Amino acid sequence: MTDKREAVKKLFTAKSSRVETNKGDVYYQRLYAQCKKRIEALKTLEPFGNKLELQDLLSEEGVDRRDFMKWVSATTAMLMLPSFFEPLVAEAAEVMNRVPVIWIELQDCAGNSEAFIRSDGPKVDEIILEIISLEFQETLMAAAGHQAEAQLHDAVETFKGKYLLFVEGSIPTAMNGFYGTIGPSGETFEEHLTRLSKDAAAIVAVGSCATFGGVPAAAPNPTGAKGVMDIVKGKPIINIPACPANPANMVGVILHYVLTGQIPELDSLLRPKFAFGYRIHDNCERRAHFDAGEFVEEWGDEGAKNNFCLYKMGCKGPMTFNNCSIVRYNEGVNWPIGVGRGCIGCSEPDFWDKYAYERPMADANIKAPTGGVEKTVDEFGLGVLTATAVGIGIHAAASALAGKKSDEGEK
Amino acid sequence: MKSGYKKVKRMTVTGRTIHWINAFSILAAVITGLYIAHPYYQTFIADPAVDKYVMAWNRWVHFICAIILDVTSIVIAYLYFFSRFEKPYKKLIPTGKNIKEFVEVLLNLLTLNRRKNFDSSHNDSFNIVYFTIMHLLLAWMLLTGLQLYVHGLESGLSSIGNWWPAMLHLVTDWTIPVTGGTLMDVRISHHYTMWWIVAWVMFHIYYQVWRTIYWQEGDMAIVFGGSKFKKEE
Repeated sequence: MTDKREAVKKLFTAKSSRVETNKGDVYYQRLYAQCKKRIEALKTLEPFGNKLELQDLLSEEGVDRRDFMKWVSATTAMLMLPSFFEPLVAEAAEVMNRVPVIWIELQDCAGNSEAFIRSDGPKVDEIILEIISLEFQETLMAAAGHQAEAQLHDAVETFKGKYLLFVEGSIPTAMNGFYGTIGPSGETFEEHLTRLSKDAAAIVAVGSCATFGGVPAAAPNPTGAKGVMDIVKGKPIINIPACPANPANMVGVILHYVLTGQIPELDSLLRPKFAFGYRIHDNCERRAHFDAGEFVEEWGDEGAKNNFCLYKMGCKGPMTFNNCSIVRYNEGVNWPIGVGRGCIGCSEPDFWDKYAYERPMADANIKAPTGGVEKTVDEFGLGVLTATAVGIGIHAAASALAGKKSDEGEK
Repeated sequence: MKSGYKKVKRMTVTGRTIHWINAFSILAAVITGLYIAHPYYQTFIADPAVDKYVMAWNRWVHFICAIILDVTSIVIAYLYFFSRFEKPYKKLIPTGKNIKEFVEVLLNLLTLNRRKNFDSSHNDSFNIVYFTIMHLLLAWMLLTGLQLYVHGLESGLSSIGNWWPAMLHLVTDWTIPVTGGTLMDVRISHHYTMWWIVAWVMFHIYYQVWRTIYWQEGDMAIVFGGSKFKKEE
């Protein structure tokens, strides 16, 4: 009986977006052994470029061991690993500078770089992003011009097949890609990305631009912007959308890779399930007000003062998958809904066109499915109804005028 | 019964039951669905949030009606082919006879009953096509609605077992790419289809009343008593 049930379950869960939070003891014991082996192997390696030791850096920044262990247990939970993985996660964080990372920036606002380097006091996530062996990062590195080119070339040659390629920003494809070129050779962003991804172990697309095109790809998309997964084929790609991507999720993905040597489990949009397996609506602190029918009607009204639900202000929490209602931003300080404005669905595809209007659907200007004309769905629906009613009215009036005659003689 | 008329049985008890379950479920789903899309009345009850559940009740009614509609849809789909009473699919096959009947019934409507070259005592292919459209719209609502719903069970668990959300994903995930690539598109499509259903219902009621008045065969009685009347030749 149980076997049968398991078989049916397996059949139906094959490709669903189910988030498996407990895969059983056997699985985790095996994973633990595998991770242990990998970390031991990484430990024997010299740190690549970055010789900083995490412990030194942490104490320099005023983070004590206790704070670090708190971060470790939160991160272990975030990665959906059992708590006995904690020592391993701590060790993995310490050997993160053994995995080289090349970070390139394409058509975007550098918001994702900003997300992890800007905060009033450095948090563990941000310190860890400093310790990773960042071989190349346009925004952060000191080198410029030919020097930078040379550094990138060296990094690719040295770590062929081993580096993680982080991509920030979309890829313009219109006008042969000349909306974005890089370096003295005038290489387009698309060529740049294709060249660097060839030798990468895996590609991590960071932020909504790199994942689904983001704001640059919003209608009418003059530059023909596309996401990484539309350009690069035949390589493992991990999408970390959101505008900006949460540093906790970036660290989570790198840590998972350091720990297991594999990319985390992904959903159908290639987003790691540990971060994007949940709707923010279901973990929202205002959810009780949604169920109660208590909504903010206007910015600054009584409802707003009482932290009512922001659904009527256009919150897209019910359709948005992200862990920001759990981990929040800036080490849990706050997040959009916490500051009293609705979610704009920034981790979903086409978010700028389809989610970011600040009204509930019934009030929003959405392109009618017929295209072209801007019309709300409800206005269109009312039009359909009116047309039906007019048709019925004409037919009824004509019928009444014509009388009840039927010509059954023809039969 | 007036003399010169014979009684024609048109709907079984099952058929009528399904009809009214559908009618009231659609009505309730439309009312609650409009609230869910845009909560148009606010709760000013001074109770704490834990005691009132206005949105939750609307969603509850919406989902219960939806599930009932889903079940009747499955029953109807079955009856289309295997009913022992009338098999609607026979009128759907585009044979010459069916196409002619379809056109004649349509012409009867358009010529305001000046022309009536078909047997009105039994279900005609025009009506069957019209009803099939309704059931296709309902099936689409079912698929898009369950797709929107299943994401509330993202843990993969449900009160009736893991198979349920897993099956919903398997059966309805394809609606996302089909409607345009995001969950928002599924939602717009779900909302948009509602207006077509409302328009469908409007014409349906009009047409049945019209038939009753102009054909004088008591068509309106079908859905209450199960029979209509036909003038004897």
